[in-house]
Amino acid sequence: MSENLNEKKRRLPVGLLVLLFLGLVAIPGGWYTGITSIETVNMLGRYMCFAIVAIGLDLVWGYSGVLSLCQALFFSLGGYAFGMFCAHHGGPEGLIDATGWKLPACFFVVYPYQVGEGPTDALVPWFWKLSWYLPVAVLLGLVIPGLVGFVIGFFGFRSRVRGVYFAILTQAITVAAWNFFCMNNMKFCGTNGLTRFKYICTTMHPPGTKCAEYAPWDLSDPKVQMTLYLATLFCLAGVYWLSIAITRSRLGRVLIAIRDDENTICFSGYDPANYKIFIYVVAAMIGGLGGVLYAPQMKIFTPEYMTAKWSILVVIWVAVGGRGSLSGAVLGALGVNLVYNFLTSRAAETWPFIQGLMFILVVLLWPDGLMGILDRLRLRGIEFKLRFKI
Amino acid sequence: MHARSLLSFILCTFSCIPVSQTVAENSNDVKVRELMLQLGSDEVKAKDTLVALAKVRHPKVKEILETYRIGGYFLWEEQFVYANTEEVEEDEDFNEILVICDPLTRAPLAKDGKPLKVIADELEEISADRKERKLVSELLFRIGLFDPDPVRRMASVKLCGDKQIEEEAELLKKISETDKVNKIRFIAKESLLLIQLGKSLEEEDMETHLAAAKELGRMRSLRGYPRLDKLLKANLGRSETEMSAIRVYKNSMAQIDSHQKFADHISYFFQGLSLGSTLILMALGLSITFGLMGVINMAHGELMMIGAYTTYVTQVCFGHSPDNPVNGYFFVALPASFLAAALNGAVIEMLVVRHLYRRPLESLLATWGVSLVMIQFVRGGFPWSNAEWASGLPYFLRWSGFGDNIGVNSPTWAVGSVEVAQDILLPYSRLFIILVCGICLGMVYVLMNHTSLGLKIRATMQNRDMANSLGVNTRLVDIYTFAFGSGLAGIAGCAWTLIGGVTPDMGQVNFIVDSFLVVVTGGVGELAGVVCAGLGIGIGTKLLEPVEVVGGSIGAIWTKILILIVIVAFIQFKPAGLFAPKGRLADV
Repeated sequence: MSENLNEKKRRLPVGLLVLLFLGLVAIPGGWYTGITSIETVNMLGRYMCFAIVAIGLDLVWGYSGVLSLCQALFFSLGGYAFGMFCAHHGGPEGLIDATGWKLPACFFVVYPYQVGEGPTDALVPWFWKLSWYLPVAVLLGLVIPGLVGFVIGFFGFRSRVRGVYFAILTQAITVAAWNFFCMNNMKFCGTNGLTRFKYICTTMHPPGTKCAEYAPWDLSDPKVQMTLYLATLFCLAGVYWLSIAITRSRLGRVLIAIRDDENTICFSGYDPANYKIFIYVVAAMIGGLGGVLYAPQMKIFTPEYMTAKWSILVVIWVAVGGRGSLSGAVLGALGVNLVYNFLTSRAAETWPFIQGLMFILVVLLWPDGLMGILDRLRLRGIEFKLRFKI
Repeated sequence: MHARSLLSFILCTFSCIPVSQTVAENSNDVKVRELMLQLGSDEVKAKDTLVALAKVRHPKVKEILETYRIGGYFLWEEQFVYANTEEVEEDEDFNEILVICDPLTRAPLAKDGKPLKVIADELEEISADRKERKLVSELLFRIGLFDPDPVRRMASVKLCGDKQIEEEAELLKKISETDKVNKIRFIAKESLLLIQLGKSLEEEDMETHLAAAKELGRMRSLRGYPRLDKLLKANLGRSETEMSAIRVYKNSMAQIDSHQKFADHISYFFQGLSLGSTLILMALGLSITFGLMGVINMAHGELMMIGAYTTYVTQVCFGHSPDNPVNGYFFVALPASFLAAALNGAVIEMLVVRHLYRRPLESLLATWGVSLVMIQFVRGGFPWSNAEWASGLPYFLRWSGFGDNIGVNSPTWAVGSVEVAQDILLPYSRLFIILVCGICLGMVYVLMNHTSLGLKIRATMQNRDMANSLGVNTRLVDIYTFAFGSGLAGIAGCAWTLIGGVTPDMGQVNFIVDSFLVVVTGGVGELAGVVCAGLGIGIGTKLLEPVEVVGGSIGAIWTKILILIVIVAFIQFKPAGLFAPKGRLADV
């Protein structure tokens, strides 16, 4: 794989260009001419959020050799940060609590009232107040996953928790977080999750005032959805570019060395823990970004994304696309989800079988995923050219 | 007549009625008949009659009262008769015809040697109104004091105390001294004391009252606590003269309270022990496949699910149900679920896992895929089960799964609990799981350390090439090891049906993360590690859950999070678990 990388350094990021072309020209063009519906655009936007998350995992798993099952948690943290912002401004307006804050509609369905309390006694908790303004919400969506990632990484990598142990540990943390968010008295809306997203308020109006009066972006408006799609696309491109920059830098080399032989890099005088913590925090923030972009496009955000299923799904996107290749991660996330979308509308019962077989086959037969297959084909092509001297 | 006197004799010996009453059996019969007639003819006095009837210690009284409550007695030509209203005949004019019987013996009344049949309209039904029905239920409970069945007797004895039925005080005293069952004696005494405690606080009763309060405290009676509490609250602002009483109440309550705390702690500890053994059962198979073989088997939870479903299938085959218990099925289900899961495991090993030895991360993904397929297969059967083209296939190729909900009925012996000491109840199902866990641990220990297969397993895991060159068929050993680990999961699944629900995705939801945590904490491949970690996590969880913090107890979810933090902190100090492999093995 490392020789491959040397070669890649010289090549233009073809994947990025293809992606940009498809996303910037083909899809919006299709929408303007009426070929692709806005639902499709929205769906693609959501899948691109998954692609962003997958890139994050590819950085830690594909390039640094650390299998983290927390990526879905970071995604959810980002999603919750932005989802709380959306829930603040969405839903039927009107219920104002004692401190003058508007209660999110999804909130008082599961608000844990004390004995003798009614809906009018509910209060907006302090952590909800944080995500009232758009820039703060976005910032929180990036910073919180980053902080959590730092804590996990700090304690995990410092004490040299490796490989499988780290995977299990992160999985357990994700499950604990899922439990945490499902509790009604934690005031994250319980298992119902955040619902009734309606607007994105771009103006910074004071708490308690109505969003509708400040010309917000209506999430059901196709133009807003298109905008969100484009924003996701640019973020994806940005994250992709950033990741390529990281992996091609000296830092990236160290990471690959850690993946390939951690003991040797220790003996050479590097401390792998710091490098790992760094890349882990970056990946966590990328995951958070995916969540931030996903929430308004999905218009609902539930704790379901923190279940074991999702954390492993992220891994499978990367594995199908090709571990250790950034375009592979994007390709895998988009491909798997498109297949899923295709199958669930036709033969839903077969999806678990296909998904399961995909896991097994990718691991057993195509350890380098789709990118590996493409690389092999390209090699064949070169061989062919050489043999026949074309 | 013989049979009946024998029956009443047995009844009497069981329920400690003085023998003298049995002598007057015949006159009793007459008395019951008289009362019954009175019940039919005099509606005003019905209540008194019922009470009088209940006082007659006659074996049929219970039946009579029950029938009176639900209906079945009629007046016919000034006679009190019984008729079974569920067996109605019709004559040619479509009149309903009933066979009328003697109310006491229920033998059909005969006329000219034929059973007497009467048109239903000629009968006047004797029905109980709501108050009477309520009275009858209460009376039935009091009759229950003589019930030969200890469970019913106990319920009656308890009710007498809860409702403070003073008339039965004498009888309760007798029961508390002479009943054969310890527990009933205890409850009878408790009830008696509660009755005495409930008496008015006038001078002559004061002494008994205080003595009762004192005695309740001495007995550590949990039932007495709320009563004492109530008394204490009622007398909160009373004068000095009653201070002595208040002191007695407080003393008794403190005694009961400390007993309650003690009993609670024991039961938390036991719950922890049982949770721990469930965890050990789950993690045991995993520690073999993960620890010895270096394979992360994410389908381990699904192998447990296979075990649980095998139990279900066995139960269906044996036709076991709560109404028609065939308890033996469980002892077939245990080995059957072991075999089913082991077979499954062997297939998984041969198809998937054998390519993945010492590649744990890849094995995690592949076995997760296996688990998805297994879940969907158990839930929905073959993906083509409903397709049109498949309708020609034989049924076993079109099987459409178990669906989402099945009910496994525990064997009847696993229901209920044993009271090892006052107020310390240990459920049989939990005890059984601890037993199964112990047996499995023993099995693994013996297999690993005292059989040639165990030797081969250890040899293969330590140095595969060397073992191979010494003539060990390592491929076969791999299959056996994996199958054995899977079989243990099957047993765990079978045992789980006693205490938890069975769904296709039970493995992913309930088990997999917990059991991996146990293995990781314990140290990989170490039996002692699994035991220590399992028990530690189990008991720690259960002891932590009820701890009081600001605003209530910690609760299950916070405990989970706390335990996780503890484990993470623990791994900081011992990254390879409690019992870490040493030397060269450490780096594998």
